[in-house]
Amino acid sequence: MAITINGTEVPLPEDPRMSLAEFLRDGLHLTGTKIGCNQGGCGACTVLIDGQRVLSCLTLAVQAEGREVTTIEGLSSGDDLHPLQEAFIAHDGFQCGYCTPGQICAATAMLRELAEGMPSSVTGDLSRPAPLTAEEIRERMSGNLCRCGAHNGIIAAILQVAQEGAA
Amino acid sequence: MSMGKPLPHDAAPLHVSGAARYVDDIPLPANALHLAFGLSTIAHGEITAMDLSAVRAAPGVIGVWSADDLRARFGAVPDCSPSAHDEPLLADGVVKYLGHPAFLVAATSHLAARKAARLGRIDYRELPALLTVDDALAADSRFEDGPVIWQKGDASTAIAAAPHQVQGSFEVGGQEHFYLEGQVAACLPQDGGELVIHSSTQHPTEIQHKVAHAAHLPMSAVRVEVRRMGGGFGGKESQGNHLAIACALVSLETGRPAKMRYDRDDDMMITGKRHDLRILYRAGFDAEGRIAGVEFTHLMRCGWAQDLSLPVADRAMLHSDNCYFLPAIRIESHRLRTHTQSATAYRGFGGPQGMVGIERVIDHVAHAVGRDPVAVRQVNFYAPMGEGPAEAGGASPPRSTNWPPEDIFRQKKAGEIQTTPYHMPVEDFVGDAMVADLLASSDYHARRAAISDWNRNSPILKRGIALSPVKFGISFTLTHLNQAGALVHVYQDGSIQLNHGGTEMGQGLFQKVAQVVAGVFGVDAAVIRITATDTGKVPNTSATAASSGSDLNGMAARAAALTIRDRMADCLALQHQTTANTVRFEDGHVHVGAEVLGFAEAAARVYAARVSLSSTGFYATPKIIWDRKRGTGRPFLYFAYGAAVTEVVIDRLTGENRILRTDILHDTGSSLNPALDIGQVEGAYVQGAGWLTMEELVWDAKGALRTHAPSTYKIPACSDRPPVFNVRLWNRPNREDTVGRSKAVGEPPFMLGISTFLALSDAVAACGDGSVYPALDAPATPERVLAAVKRVARDV
Amino acid sequence: MTDFLRPATVEDALALMAAGGVVPLAGGTDLYPATQRRALPGLVLDVTGLPGLCGITTGPAGLRIGAATTWTALARATLPPALAALQQAAVEVGGIQIQNAGTIGGNLCNASPAADGVPPLLVLDTEVELVGHRGIRRLPLSQFLTGPRQTARQADELLTALHIPASALSGQSHFRKLGARAYLVISIAMVAVRLDLQAGRISHAALAVGACSATACRLPQVESALTGAPAAEAPALIRDADVAAALSPLDDLRATAAYRSGAAAELLRRSVATLCQPVPA
Repeated sequence: MAITINGTEVPLPEDPRMSLAEFLRDGLHLTGTKIGCNQGGCGACTVLIDGQRVLSCLTLAVQAEGREVTTIEGLSSGDDLHPLQEAFIAHDGFQCGYCTPGQICAATAMLRELAEGMPSSVTGDLSRPAPLTAEEIRERMSGNLCRCGAHNGIIAAILQVAQEGAA
Repeated sequence: MSMGKPLPHDAAPLHVSGAARYVDDIPLPANALHLAFGLSTIAHGEITAMDLSAVRAAPGVIGVWSADDLRARFGAVPDCSPSAHDEPLLADGVVKYLGHPAFLVAATSHLAARKAARLGRIDYRELPALLTVDDALAADSRFEDGPVIWQKGDASTAIAAAPHQVQGSFEVGGQEHFYLEGQVAACLPQDGGELVIHSSTQHPTEIQHKVAHAAHLPMSAVRVEVRRMGGGFGGKESQGNHLAIACALVSLETGRPAKMRYDRDDDMMITGKRHDLRILYRAGFDAEGRIAGVEFTHLMRCGWAQDLSLPVADRAMLHSDNCYFLPAIRIESHRLRTHTQSATAYRGFGGPQGMVGIERVIDHVAHAVGRDPVAVRQVNFYAPMGEGPAEAGGASPPRSTNWPPEDIFRQKKAGEIQTTPYHMPVEDFVGDAMVADLLASSDYHARRAAISDWNRNSPILKRGIALSPVKFGISFTLTHLNQAGALVHVYQDGSIQLNHGGTEMGQGLFQKVAQVVAGVFGVDAAVIRITATDTGKVPNTSATAASSGSDLNGMAARAAALTIRDRMADCLALQHQTTANTVRFEDGHVHVGAEVLGFAEAAARVYAARVSLSSTGFYATPKIIWDRKRGTGRPFLYFAYGAAVTEVVIDRLTGENRILRTDILHDTGSSLNPALDIGQVEGAYVQGAGWLTMEELVWDAKGALRTHAPSTYKIPACSDRPPVFNVRLWNRPNREDTVGRSKAVGEPPFMLGISTFLALSDAVAACGDGSVYPALDAPATPERVLAAVKRVARDV
Repeated sequence: MTDFLRPATVEDALALMAAGGVVPLAGGTDLYPATQRRALPGLVLDVTGLPGLCGITTGPAGLRIGAATTWTALARATLPPALAALQQAAVEVGGIQIQNAGTIGGNLCNASPAADGVPPLLVLDTEVELVGHRGIRRLPLSQFLTGPRQTARQADELLTALHIPASALSGQSHFRKLGARAYLVISIAMVAVRLDLQAGRISHAALAVGACSATACRLPQVESALTGAPAAEAPALIRDADVAAALSPLDDLRATAAYRSGAAAELLRRSVATLCQPVPA
């Protein structure tokens, strides 16, 4: 019984009722994953499981058995930041920073979803790949609340990375 | 020169990599305890019996305390109030709101404490609960003896004598802070009975003071540290006291570290929010819409304890004029005591509530005289400021001896100066110039005409547009709070450590103050090591509140840095047989006579010469004087201004609405950091718009807050951001001698969100024939917008 | 003792459930918040790995949706236009993080009156498939949902699939929800409409409204008023009073009853109008 977290295999917690968020924070001291509401309403605890974004507060650690979990700590290595992390700095995509790890994890997955052509609720034609617009990004990032209102920077940062990736 | 540079937040690399540490991320010793409160389930009642045996028996529970237990153990139930000593840590005999902490649990894990806290059984004798302002008025339940009344001139006579009159009333809802990081504190007991507290607080000194009082310790035995908060917005000015005190008491009882964090539901049920209120108004004016007299009544719902309600209600009164010269005015403010959460500080601290009143009056007047509301705003504006300082302040690093420039206040001729309702001269009014600039840049007049045409051909969707200005007074109204301290060390390797009394909650205060200090030493801001706010380093600090963080702490840090720099200059000048005022600190170097030293080498030489490289700094805001009983004086050093134009669209059949475009011009003085300031302006606007549109707090008939989770309490999300959002800074020097001639920016732009509410009202008006002024309460939820549309349309 | 069960087959799952006290976990996005304040009750049985519970298959009888199919999988699938409403609902559930974990079967068993998936499934005449040790039974969705947070599922039964009959796969459908914000909030009202159009007239109409009654429901009276009507006149045939009569909305913290039913009627008119728009040549 093990999970791979940021490339390292770790044993599952003994308590099967422990949420993935608690396990990451209390069990593994990976405190970059934040708990904002602990009920699936804010997105601060977003992590990636096999590349898909999920809320770690609504996921039991045992549900991730045998799967690959990536947290904010796993996106960079040392001073070598992920392009989204660089872009969030360049565009002031945060203020207090508490929602930021969740925003960046969500954005990482979102870029992949866009590349795979997954539609959102503002995609007019669900049968064609979604266009890369600020409106699409606004919509697709709406599962992550930012009370400081740094939305402009968040959108600008993601748009920049998305465009660079597309170029 | 580092002041004025758009540098990113100092902790940016930590934030994006998840390495920025908040209180709940600090590793605690393995024996740490976790705390939770058991909450009351009724709004008002006498506790007749409390059975906590199941709580004590629950797995992991180490201790349980009621108010009686605390009294037995500590001699009294510790008080948590920031003002009136009326907030015992636990309900003492009587519960006063639904969610009132009634007992305290300590357990071996957070979840164990929370689960155990739900097992308490409390029996009550229910008492009548006053839930609304009407309930409280009827029962004469209030703070202070009666309403506070301030006046200038004879408003009643002026209104009666004016050619036209309007009157009305509307409700303005409260607002949950919804800081993403909930309230949290931890206590680490030290040897000798000392306590170290980590707290997510805007007011470390208050935490220190209250913990010391509760624990019967001198303040010197309690040290409070705050590296950062995950958002505060005023909600962490006084509301963290309970958690810190609870942790300290449990640590004293058990000798173990203790941590308490509210889960989101508990946070929303327990803590105070923005004051909601009803505003009643009457105004008299001429055919141009020029106001002769106005009367306001504020019915503020303050909740069960006094907390900060008096200064909040004062500030609402102080902003009842906003940008308008009102020759005669009377403001009557009722601070009503109810059995609900104790309303508290929230960004703007009452200012937004006062300002939305006069903005609605102006709109109502414009409707009555049939003019564009912008024109009516303009005829009522205060007289503009005279010539400002010629040069941009903060453009070059001046020597401490010849800076700041002379005080422009004295240049103004007394006869030109108009006064506020509290008799303070308005000397720095730039609202007219800013509004003119914004009208042009936002293409307001053409768009207003285009919207009018568009609405004629659109039966279901209706657009609206509105401009609203802001004039916000900067200073704590409690005069003694306008002071700050700082501590700067230059080490012999040339590195610099900075500490001050302000706290970081995302606003970028630390970076701004570091830029000020870097400017003094002529070094790069990255050289400055910013350290956690610590009551052991800088004592007797004020809350980081009232937008004052940079103003106060920037000046204190500057003073400390200047002291060290002057010592360095004196020392190096002596060594080089030159005069101190020729020594220059620039680009990481120190120029002494013909020699150019690296800053590190200069520091090493000064150290070797046995000169102190450490200094405290202190600042007290000048000029302010305030008599709150009479409502007269100069409570503010200066005003910060701004204006916003918002365009919205509503659906007249469902009431759904959204913002289409926002244009903002905001006054930051000479911005210390334009990137951080633009972020503050954008975020404040979004929060202000949220307050008046979608953020709705609902209590049921029993006094239970029903919107206590993000699924039911809606804050603006990424998709609510205006699709077109143009923000510019009015980057001109403050005429007052502030740090770098900058202006405070935390709160003032919040009130730019009022333009959203007015634009919605404008769109509602377009659903009728224009004969009825739309009655609209805030927040303007789809349901309220639809109701307003129906009222307007029925009268067609 | 392990409290977390992940059986390999439906048979194993049923055997475990027969002992009682087992809570099926099908994504966990509703189960976990509902139980935050207490311990997760009893044994937790993860159904997401069971064979046949994930994915969508088509056959002569119609379409089968595995109960543990996620919203994301639904949104990404290529499906007939009759399921457009369901796919629109799928991309508006919670945020995308929720859509990746939450499942259609979980949404139904949780039985929130405001469940996004229910109105689109009602207009598809959906039947649910329940498997227990007594065998397999099928129920119309409207009979499966018996009240707020109540279903006809027995404690030892598993919801394994949803069946949409071939007869309901015709026409076009549309979903619309109302609220101050699309994401992360509980809706005030939502509607789903499926229409068959023949020669400019409505030959078949199915309308459902959610969040306005104890369980989401169809509106037979309004449906019969629309049947046979010319498309251009259809929206006007939806009268507020008829919609209100079919619903029993409650005043609650999110909206008053009058606002809810009025808004639902307006949303229905719009969805009908959208579906009746002439296709550009």
